[in-house]
Amino acid sequence: MSAATPVLSMRGIGKSFTGVRALDDVSLDCHAGEVHAICGENGAGKSTLMKVLGGVYRPDEGEILLGGQPVAFRHPVEARRAGISIIHQELSLLPERSVADNIFLGLEPTRSGLLDRAVMQNGARRLLERVGARVHPGALVKSLSIAEQQLVEIAKALALDASIIVMDEPTAALDDRDAGRLLELVGTLRREGAAVLYISHRMAELKAIADRITVLKDGKLVATHTAAALTPAMIVRLMVGRDLADFFPTPGDPAKLGPIVLSVQDGGNAVLADIALDLRAGEIVGIAGLEGSGKGALGRALFGDEPFTRGRMMIDGHEGLISSPRTAIAAGIGFLSDDRKREGIAPQQSLRDNVLMTLRAFAQRLLPPGSGAMARTAADRQLTEVDVRAAGFAQEIRELSGGNQQKVVIGRWLARDPKLLIFLEPTRGIDVAAKAAIYQLMRSLADRGRAILMISSDLPEIIGVSDRVIVMHEGRLAGELKRGASEEQVMHLALGTGATEAAA
Amino acid sequence: MSASADIAVARPAREIPVAPLLFAGSLALYIVTALATGQHAYLTGEGFVGLTQRMVALGIVALGQTLTILVGSIDLSVANLISVAAVLASFIMKGEPAMIAPAVLAVLALSAAVGLVNGLIIARLDVNPLIATLGVGLILQGLLSASFSNFAGSVPSAFQAFAYGRIGPLPWSVLLLFVLAFAIWLMLTRTRFGAHLYATGGNRDGARLAGIRTERVIIGAHVLCSLMAGLTGLYLASRLRAGAPWVGRDGVYDLESIAVVVIGGTLLAGGRGGVWGTLAGVFLFATLDAVFNMTGIDAFPKQVLRGAIVILAVAVYAVRSRGHVA
Amino acid sequence: MSATAAHTAPSAALRFVRGINVGVAIFLVLYGTIAVLQPSYFEVEGFLNFLRRAAPLIILACGQLFVIAGGGFDLSMGSLVTLTVLGGSMLAGGNPENTWWTIGVLYLIGLGVGLVNGLVVTLLKVPSIIATLGMLLSLNGAALMWSGGAPRGYLPENFRALGRLVYREVPVTGIMPLSVIILIGFVALAAWLLHATVFGRQVLAVGDNPRAAELAGVPVGATRVLVFVISALSAVTAGILLGGFAGVSTAVGQGLELQAIAACVIGGAQLLGGRASVTGAVAGSLSLFALFTLLNLMGLPQPLRETVQGLILIAAVASSAWRMRRA
Repeated sequence: MSAATPVLSMRGIGKSFTGVRALDDVSLDCHAGEVHAICGENGAGKSTLMKVLGGVYRPDEGEILLGGQPVAFRHPVEARRAGISIIHQELSLLPERSVADNIFLGLEPTRSGLLDRAVMQNGARRLLERVGARVHPGALVKSLSIAEQQLVEIAKALALDASIIVMDEPTAALDDRDAGRLLELVGTLRREGAAVLYISHRMAELKAIADRITVLKDGKLVATHTAAALTPAMIVRLMVGRDLADFFPTPGDPAKLGPIVLSVQDGGNAVLADIALDLRAGEIVGIAGLEGSGKGALGRALFGDEPFTRGRMMIDGHEGLISSPRTAIAAGIGFLSDDRKREGIAPQQSLRDNVLMTLRAFAQRLLPPGSGAMARTAADRQLTEVDVRAAGFAQEIRELSGGNQQKVVIGRWLARDPKLLIFLEPTRGIDVAAKAAIYQLMRSLADRGRAILMISSDLPEIIGVSDRVIVMHEGRLAGELKRGASEEQVMHLALGTGATEAAA
Repeated sequence: MSASADIAVARPAREIPVAPLLFAGSLALYIVTALATGQHAYLTGEGFVGLTQRMVALGIVALGQTLTILVGSIDLSVANLISVAAVLASFIMKGEPAMIAPAVLAVLALSAAVGLVNGLIIARLDVNPLIATLGVGLILQGLLSASFSNFAGSVPSAFQAFAYGRIGPLPWSVLLLFVLAFAIWLMLTRTRFGAHLYATGGNRDGARLAGIRTERVIIGAHVLCSLMAGLTGLYLASRLRAGAPWVGRDGVYDLESIAVVVIGGTLLAGGRGGVWGTLAGVFLFATLDAVFNMTGIDAFPKQVLRGAIVILAVAVYAVRSRGHVA
Repeated sequence: MSATAAHTAPSAALRFVRGINVGVAIFLVLYGTIAVLQPSYFEVEGFLNFLRRAAPLIILACGQLFVIAGGGFDLSMGSLVTLTVLGGSMLAGGNPENTWWTIGVLYLIGLGVGLVNGLVVTLLKVPSIIATLGMLLSLNGAALMWSGGAPRGYLPENFRALGRLVYREVPVTGIMPLSVIILIGFVALAAWLLHATVFGRQVLAVGDNPRAAELAGVPVGATRVLVFVISALSAVTAGILLGGFAGVSTAVGQGLELQAIAACVIGGAQLLGGRASVTGAVAGSLSLFALFTLLNLMGLPQPLRETVQGLILIAAVASSAWRMRRA
């Protein structure tokens, strides 16, 4: 690491949104050839800090220095011109445009006023090679896999030839294999002298690539240390402010397993094939698999959102076919989407209206909205049972944190006393403390005789919470593991490699 | 790794060559109807020139509408702006050839100003484009109807050449339509503004993060669209020999321009599509017009049919989409 | 959600400001101004006559409100009003004996129009603004086709009574227009349906987030179809009242759909769904009607109504967008 002036330095950055302090006196710097990791819980201010750096937000206080010179960005275009390239958390590619169009978006080379297509094609090919993506520059982005899209996103960031590269949870949507490939690329960039700011939750990644680690909490800087000086446990303690000894709940008691609630034979549709599955009351079954393995599709098929088109289903011992979410709900199945904002909450309605939505969906249309089981006291009981923290239950749900919104959606299902609950990525985008609460909730639901199907990309969660783990590969069930399986075992099944090659 | 994404990604629609298919289908319909009704005059060179002439008014405004829809917006004020432009042109000209240039300039300046207002309300005030342009359209129509209740002024015969003049067998107006289409095609596919227009329509936040000034792109698209509407108004004034405050509404240019753009394969949500599809859609509507004429269907049932066709045409594209529309 | 999400409820003051219905405030100001210019408006009789003339708009706004709450628009209302008036006069042909079955047929037509709108939106997935604009074209064409371009026939006296009859020497109020009684009944029905039934909550949930509602089991399609049916039936009702005092013409319903939308927006309804109140819609339509009355009194030309509506639409939506960004 050079002792010269840091390429980037942020001094005393502060930013408020309608009275809430999102950032408070945060200072950090980054040298050429350094990977500086930033971690913290959701809402700690990491993304806000990066948006300040990228010119999306203007800081209320503090200043940004590039190579010692103060700068002030009013629009992302100015940050880009100053050599800052940001790979944002959400993919920002245009699905209907070609890979080359996307890579050179905002930087299109022109010749006498017209786009220079040849330069774009060649440039794109070079950048794609560099990130190791075997993708044609003329291909439409929508035809690519998520992992390929992520690589295009990185090629897009490199097109700028930036001296400062910011990556905001670049591996969040990737499976471990693709994440490994990405980490190698970060190493290359570092060797080439880029200053890399790397935001992540994943401890293994931080240990693997970071030179220094800065921890944020509640918008404030907690500490900056060299990576070698920190252990994962120390990082977690800095992030959360306490130890998380009982992070995962105690396992279920195998003796208390109930009858089979749902069983599928030879289930299949456009994405899935040969699905055979028995779920018992009282157990938490984890479904693991890479991106594209069909694990999400399995959840949606069981819930009738993208139903099975082949095979047989037995629900509570009765043969039946689930063709829509409504029939699934009527049969006693509940579902939590991985996209809470788009598929979970009705943002402008109150907590009570949200928690009662499913009960009301099956009530007589002309009944009063608060009659019988839909009474306000009943709603409040549901909300209390799932431990929602809110100023009041008449509050609009969009004002709540992600974890609390998730609890309300869980509460919605409890009102109908479902036999099976399907959780799709239940803790995605939820902070550490709320995660633990949701795991406890899942366990207590299972203990009270419900079957829980937890579909997740988060391996520690799959292993820590599930009573047994089913791994999917290319739309089929690749194998089943007992509680206590290792991450390696899961990965072998997920990759379809058997025992030959370990995950990168 | 298999390319199929895990979660509910919209199934990729099959890519259909919309423009040529639409064009061929419309042409076939036209010829078959002409043969079936025995009106062979429609099949002469003059008949086909007449068919292309039916495309001009809707075609020009639809080219503009293509831009607003591509950028993820929409313009419901075009019909009213067309009326304003037509009336203003003939009111300023008052039959004087000397006033042609000032009138044309005034109309184009006003149109650009309306587009600027639309764009500013949408991009800066964050007003839903349907509402913003509906509102601006109402404002324009109210002011216009309060000031004029009938044909106002007239256009000099020199200006009527715009609609009736020909270069060889080809009318000027048809030529203009195709020149404009070519220019816009060039702009969309070969300039940075075009690339940024697709980007803004495809993913506004993503485009902004890539350093594109999306507000300017949206405003630019609206200014161009309004200019096209203004041109359409000038053309109608020339064709009708005077402007009247109802020409835009009577032509239902707002709805029909949106319909032909969507029929032409441009995504209503923005980000995908282009001018040739739109022109093919316009050709379909011109064909239907001609077919109604050949078969002698009355004006009123024609209106009912057109309403139904608009809905069905949009439905052909929309019905495959997953999820809900409101 | 990031740290920016407030974990606390909005301050009491902010909630109070949000709670005041803007529409009510605007209406009181406008009506006060009218009454200063024309003191007869201060009397009960003046107010009831004002209500009688405003009744069709209020009814349209209440119907439109359901569609807006569900996340859509119904632009075909005005043309359905026209069709009702023209069709009514064609069917009844001036014969009072035909009135009741004519009204029955008109409601059946309304039911059909609403069903078609709803099914086109839910099954064919055509955005409602386009679907109902297409319906507007078709209904206008149909109305003209039916009447042969120029309205014929006339509405029988007992049909017209629904809109124009005024009971005299009523205790307390002095007079009581029949249409005001119909209006009160209709508004009460709408308020009950939107605010005091499970159906009302389903409409709001569907308008707020149709995908979440679907995954929660709400019958999204049926709900959508029903709101369009409600809207169409209210357009028929408004048309019947309007036929009583506006006379038979092909322009009778023109532009009413936009007035209804503007009224809902003034009353605090959120375009694209999720938030709506019947009180607001009533107050909004009263404000709009008072504004038109005021403009008339001030001698401004009729077409400027459109301009005013346009300004209102943009201002209302811009201010609500501004409020959402700040809150």
